[in-house]
Amino acid sequence: MKTNRYITISTLTRYLKDKFTKDENLQNIYLKGEISNFKSHSSGHYYFSLKDDFSKINAIMFNSYNKKLNFTPKEGMKVLVCGRINIYEPTGNYQIYVEEMQEDGIGNLYIEFEKLKEKLSKEGYFDDSHKKQIPKFPKRIGIVSSDTGAAIKDIITTIKRRYPICEIILFPSLVQGDEAKYDIVKNIEKAKDYNIDTLIVGRGGGSIEDLWPFNEEIVAKAIYDCDIPIISAVGHEIDFTISDFVADLRAATPTAAAEIAVPNILDVSNYLAQINIRVNESMYQKINYNYLLLDSFKNSYIIKNPLFLYENKKIKLDNLNEKLNSIIKNNLNDVNNNLNNLIEKLNLLNPLNILDRGYSITYFNDKILSDALKVKENDEIKIVLKNGKITSKIEKVEL
Amino acid sequence: MKFEDKIKELEKIVNDLESGNIDLDKAIDKYSKAMKLISECDKELKSVEEKISKIVKENGDLEDFDIEDK
Repeated sequence: MKTNRYITISTLTRYLKDKFTKDENLQNIYLKGEISNFKSHSSGHYYFSLKDDFSKINAIMFNSYNKKLNFTPKEGMKVLVCGRINIYEPTGNYQIYVEEMQEDGIGNLYIEFEKLKEKLSKEGYFDDSHKKQIPKFPKRIGIVSSDTGAAIKDIITTIKRRYPICEIILFPSLVQGDEAKYDIVKNIEKAKDYNIDTLIVGRGGGSIEDLWPFNEEIVAKAIYDCDIPIISAVGHEIDFTISDFVADLRAATPTAAAEIAVPNILDVSNYLAQINIRVNESMYQKINYNYLLLDSFKNSYIIKNPLFLYENKKIKLDNLNEKLNSIIKNNLNDVNNNLNNLIEKLNLLNPLNILDRGYSITYFNDKILSDALKVKENDEIKIVLKNGKITSKIEKVEL
Repeated sequence: MKFEDKIKELEKIVNDLESGNIDLDKAIDKYSKAMKLISECDKELKSVEEKISKIVKENGDLEDFDIEDK
């Protein structure tokens, strides 16, 4: 065997590369196609594929070229590009080095997306009034996503880190490909039977085709009809899907979804501690206030000088007393006057005065005798005169 | 009572107590209730039991799920 017939891969690749380089058509080519798997690298270069219904070519656009673009390339966008084809030696892949790019209308998927978005929007699927509140302290979180990959890992680790007392139930689902939409719908419906507080529906980043199940109408309707509050978390920050618009809340990434779904347990503990302090503080103030109130009563003038309560009454009593006295005095005077008058009158009528004038009073049996018939002969009578008494016997009664 | 409702109740009690226009007797009732709720919530937060993630199998059964296996 002649070993010198064999060449190295590098030699072959360099040979092919040379062929590409020398082909004028390949060095100045105009292509049209749809962007897919678009990635803007941190170096500023764009990496993506261009495709049509039957073929696909890898593409790179260095930042020295792409910074001249007046638009940002997006997944599904139809573009016209100009550049050169060559081989990337480390992988042996041929690719187009894009130097110019312009939009070629709007990609079909993009049109489809806009159409469905408008339709569902008109039908009220995105209405705020239909959106449910996401529970603040869920006991059980459901996840409809692939059971492998970064997304599920991010969600579970984030929930466990923030709120380990929460239970996680995973509903493993296809999240890309033609069957994915049915699987997602089936799992959202299944979740209703598992007493879930909040459901996270989503997947990690990918091309627009990868994320497409989340732009399907039946998925949108399943999310809309679900009684459980749903957080959608599809792809990256820049990816918006129909699911995001229908869901009760959209999270930029799966990690963000987990952060929205559960509180940080430390924050909750702190909040509870704060409530504890506030309850105690306000209760203390309440009691203190009552003490002060009690003190103010104790120190009030009346309580300290209870006699004050009587003072007024005493004065009133004195006044009354005085009044009474004066009334009595006046009355007494009147009585005295009357009495004097009476005495005077009596004096005028005093029988003794009559005796003075020579009259006498006759008593029989110690009673004044004014009827001659009451006595008879030999009865003893007494006669009172002005200056003495006479006892005598009746000799004769005449009428 | 759900944790969320307990927190809501606590917030209401705090507001009532802080507003000041509440009888001392009622305040004491509310205070005792708040202390009970706080201790219940605290217990829930400090529950040592590690919650294990579950995966729903095709037949609907639940099975433990360890993300590190994936």
